Amino acid sequence: MTSRTAPTLREAIAAMSDTVERLNELSRTKYQNPYEAIEWPESVNPADHWFFTPELSTLYGTPYWQQLDDAGRRRLTFDEAANFFSLNIHGEKSLMEGLAARLYRSDLVEIADYLHHFLDEENKHSVYFGGFCRRYARVYRSRHISFPRRPEREVEDLLFFAKVLIFEEHADRYNVLQAKDERLHPLSRFINGAHHADESRHLVFNRAIVTAFWDTYSPGWDEGQREEIRDYLGQFFTTTWREYYNPDVYADSCFDTPWLVAEDAWNAPEQREHRRRVSAKCLRFFHSTGLLLEEPADVF
Amino acid sequence: MLRSWVARKAKDLPPEGLTDDLPLLEGRYLTSLHIPELILLLEALRGEAIDVERLQAGDFRDLRTIAARFLIGSPDPAAARAAETVPPSPRGASR
Repeated sequence: MTSRTAPTLREAIAAMSDTVERLNELSRTKYQNPYEAIEWPESVNPADHWFFTPELSTLYGTPYWQQLDDAGRRRLTFDEAANFFSLNIHGEKSLMEGLAARLYRSDLVEIADYLHHFLDEENKHSVYFGGFCRRYARVYRSRHISFPRRPEREVEDLLFFAKVLIFEEHADRYNVLQAKDERLHPLSRFINGAHHADESRHLVFNRAIVTAFWDTYSPGWDEGQREEIRDYLGQFFTTTWREYYNPDVYADSCFDTPWLVAEDAWNAPEQREHRRRVSAKCLRFFHSTGLLLEEPADVF
Repeated sequence: MLRSWVARKAKDLPPEGLTDDLPLLEGRYLTSLHIPELILLLEALRGEAIDVERLQAGDFRDLRTIAARFLIGSPDPAAARAAETVPPSPRGASR
């Protein structure tokens, strides 16, 4: 490895300024009012339509999927759509909190304009997700609990945006596939499509800011600190993927042993392969930066 | 099952191993990211949901606290068996 001087954070952020300005411009021109962009039907019937791509179901490829008839599969995937929207609501709550905390911080003031767009767009997404869940289904609970922040701000910054990157890259893959799935109810396609339209910009920003933090700070960390960061991100892959396998969904879909179903689905080889496929792009990014050196354990 | 799960997930356990009063989060053997998965396990052992909104980091302080908080007294025999492997702290015992 060749030695090089680490940039200061100011230099690293200056290096991404063209990208950020382009994203600012796109956010301004594609600005959307979530209260006008969508007309909510009075009701929807999960038995008549698909609301979630069946091949993305957490039970797809498992014996449980085979046990369900067509109506049962539609019912299950309707609840999985609500769970997918719910885990986005919870993820965006934490995201908005973290973005707001960094808005106008002196060392990040050069990206303040984009943080405004990011925050605004996340809030709009939650309006869509919450609108669906509260009208037609329910907001599934999160199993995350609040913990005090880490004392090291540099590590906290890196981990915050790295977690956002992982979460959003996974969700975006689902959005892309579902926005173009013609079997799905138009409402579901619209919400997935609207989310993707903004997320495609967020993904670019996430990669740039994670790279800036990593390139700036990691040369000053010892191997133990870098390993701790890698372990933490590896565990985040497990934690974020686990949320898709929600026993509350299986209980709503009339499975008598919802925790067992969740565990079996999590361990099913087809599901491991599915997770590997969906995570492949962001794993490649982490490997290319050196942030991760190997595939996280337990997930794939 | 609780003990084996924590032992599998914990990082750099001390030479004395996973004792009942080892401070899991404070000692950074587990992180906040392990908690959602741990809650899933505890719900499976109890056979019922846990009201997550009312939980705090202190509820997961160590194995003894976790067992006392979530498993002891559970009507589910599996949860009671899991809790038996982690006896409650004697009243007034120093930590």
